[in-house]
Amino acid sequence: MLAKKSVLGLFPEGQEDMAADALDALREEGYTHSEYEIITGTPYPEGTFGEEEPKHTLFRWPLMGAACGFVVGLVLTSGTQLAYPLVTGGKPVLSIPPMSIIIYEGTMLGAIIFTVIGIVIESRLPRLFMGAYDERITEGYIGVAVTTDQDRVGKAEEVLKQVGAEEVKRGWES
Amino acid sequence: MASSARAAPHAPRHADPRVAEPPTSPSETTGFLVGKHLRLGDNFWRAVAVFGIFSILGVIGFVVRLGDGMGETAAWGYYVAMFSFIITAASAAPMVAIAPRMANSHWRRPISRAAELWSVVGLLSLLWFIPILWILPPLSDGRRSLWFFDMNHPNLVPSYTPHIWASAAILGLVVTGLALVWVSCLPDFASIARRAPEGSFQRRWSLWMARGWQGTSRQWHMVKRRMGILGAFYFMMLVFVHFLISVDFLMTLVPGWIDALYPVTHAANALQAAAATMVLTAWILRTFCGYERYIGLDQIWGLGKLMFALSLLWFWFWFSSFNVLWYGKMPFEQAVIELLITGPYLWVFMAVFMLVFVIPLWTLVWNPVRHSLWGPPLIAVGILVGTFLDRIRLYVAAYSVPGIGNPSVHKHVLDFDHLPKTVMPDIWDIFIMLGAIGLIALVYMAASRLFPIMNMWEQRELQLYDRGHAPYHRAHVRVMGKSE
Repeated sequence: MLAKKSVLGLFPEGQEDMAADALDALREEGYTHSEYEIITGTPYPEGTFGEEEPKHTLFRWPLMGAACGFVVGLVLTSGTQLAYPLVTGGKPVLSIPPMSIIIYEGTMLGAIIFTVIGIVIESRLPRLFMGAYDERITEGYIGVAVTTDQDRVGKAEEVLKQVGAEEVKRGWES
Repeated sequence: MASSARAAPHAPRHADPRVAEPPTSPSETTGFLVGKHLRLGDNFWRAVAVFGIFSILGVIGFVVRLGDGMGETAAWGYYVAMFSFIITAASAAPMVAIAPRMANSHWRRPISRAAELWSVVGLLSLLWFIPILWILPPLSDGRRSLWFFDMNHPNLVPSYTPHIWASAAILGLVVTGLALVWVSCLPDFASIARRAPEGSFQRRWSLWMARGWQGTSRQWHMVKRRMGILGAFYFMMLVFVHFLISVDFLMTLVPGWIDALYPVTHAANALQAAAATMVLTAWILRTFCGYERYIGLDQIWGLGKLMFALSLLWFWFWFSSFNVLWYGKMPFEQAVIELLITGPYLWVFMAVFMLVFVIPLWTLVWNPVRHSLWGPPLIAVGILVGTFLDRIRLYVAAYSVPGIGNPSVHKHVLDFDHLPKTVMPDIWDIFIMLGAIGLIALVYMAASRLFPIMNMWEQRELQLYDRGHAPYHRAHVRVMGKSE
């Protein structure tokens, strides 16, 4: 397997159209959306640069956590009540209203814990291998990063320069 | 090919100093806000000195109270009331960021981080709650509760069930709040790390907290979705915490106080206090902290309207509960009304009624007051004082009911003829109350040093949608876009 390299084209503030053109040019040269990404310091509306909408599985984490918490709450309340059957005020041993309090809390706590874990994992934070990056992006610059096979990175660099990137710089190797 | 899609520079038709006019370029916005975050003004240290003294007094009051032991619940009424005030006025404040963000409103952007930051004060509520675990007696004292505790089989349901579940719920709320603040701050930490001086604590802290944030589409996507999910969870946990605290740590201590509506009332009161807290926070940030370019009439006005609506809700909830007890007119219901409203705390109740309902209603109804920079903050102070007194009225009265913790005292009926007298605060209670206020402010101020109090990336995002002022027929309007 060939080593990957990354390259970053920087476009100044106000050159959103030029950055979008860069993505078009990269696509025309055969780069796939898994090879390039747009990096900004501001959350532009999705699709501003013609980029694909990121696929995510964010919903899975809270759902998994909620399901686990729900089951724990249900088992805890029904298990203890069945283990120690206690009729209070003529109510059934397995009474839904008091059980629902624990089940709700278990569900919420499970969802919260899994969501926090999911945030760290899904967002790939911390990023162990930093791609090409420039701190000017936090000042309004728009970055178009291409991470691809070593033999294709030169072409990507050329495309970014042709489109009019103010600066093109290389990033990490793996 | 390289045409700019950014908004044209503002051309404001009028120069109303009350209207905020933030910078129009991302780099200027970041530069200004990072600079504000890194610099500390004299006002900050003056406030630290004042609230630090309050906090020290609070610690002294707590230690002296602790020296008297925890067996006498009446002596701890003011302490528990302060805990309730913290989760009411501070922990609910993030809702002021969460709800309008879900509604995709622009006016809340300058105050959303300041609101989220109040969730850090949840750490104080968690700490403050620990002694209450000893103050509240176990269910084995024979009081009625939700937990199916049976005096004849005391080992079947844990006697400390309220303590266990309330602790877990508060912990869940605090963790959710901290996660929300962190996720919201990720992009801003990257901005601060770039501009903070080399080797400074702020730079090291921001770099560590940013966790390698770059700003890829995927990361932005993650931040927005996570903030939505965490915001929803925060709201669900907040209501649940208020439910547990109001039931287990308040209502069950007053025999005969059976009111299905009150837990929701407790949470609704928190939302009203939260709006007031944020009006005051926004006003302080504008007036004393140099954020007048960001916080203006729009924010104070928007929050003022929210506060007005919630003040009406206060009456609706209170009257609904009162009506049930008043019409029921059973002896124990009359006793509950006497204890909490018409009896030893009548004057406190009157003050509460005026401050959280009558005055907000009859002042905020007038446009000149509502649409001003001074009106809503003034009313907000009144609402916070009213909420403070309301918590004292309820918790101090509840914790003074005779027989709490004593299994030999019958706890199903409150005796009308032997209601407890008014518990006036002694000097240590006053210290504890001052300490609560001081610590709330200190924790919030400390949080503002670790997390930027103004959301930089949401301000920059606003610039994408702000098209400036434009003529509209014979009027002038500000043209704003919205993402779909």
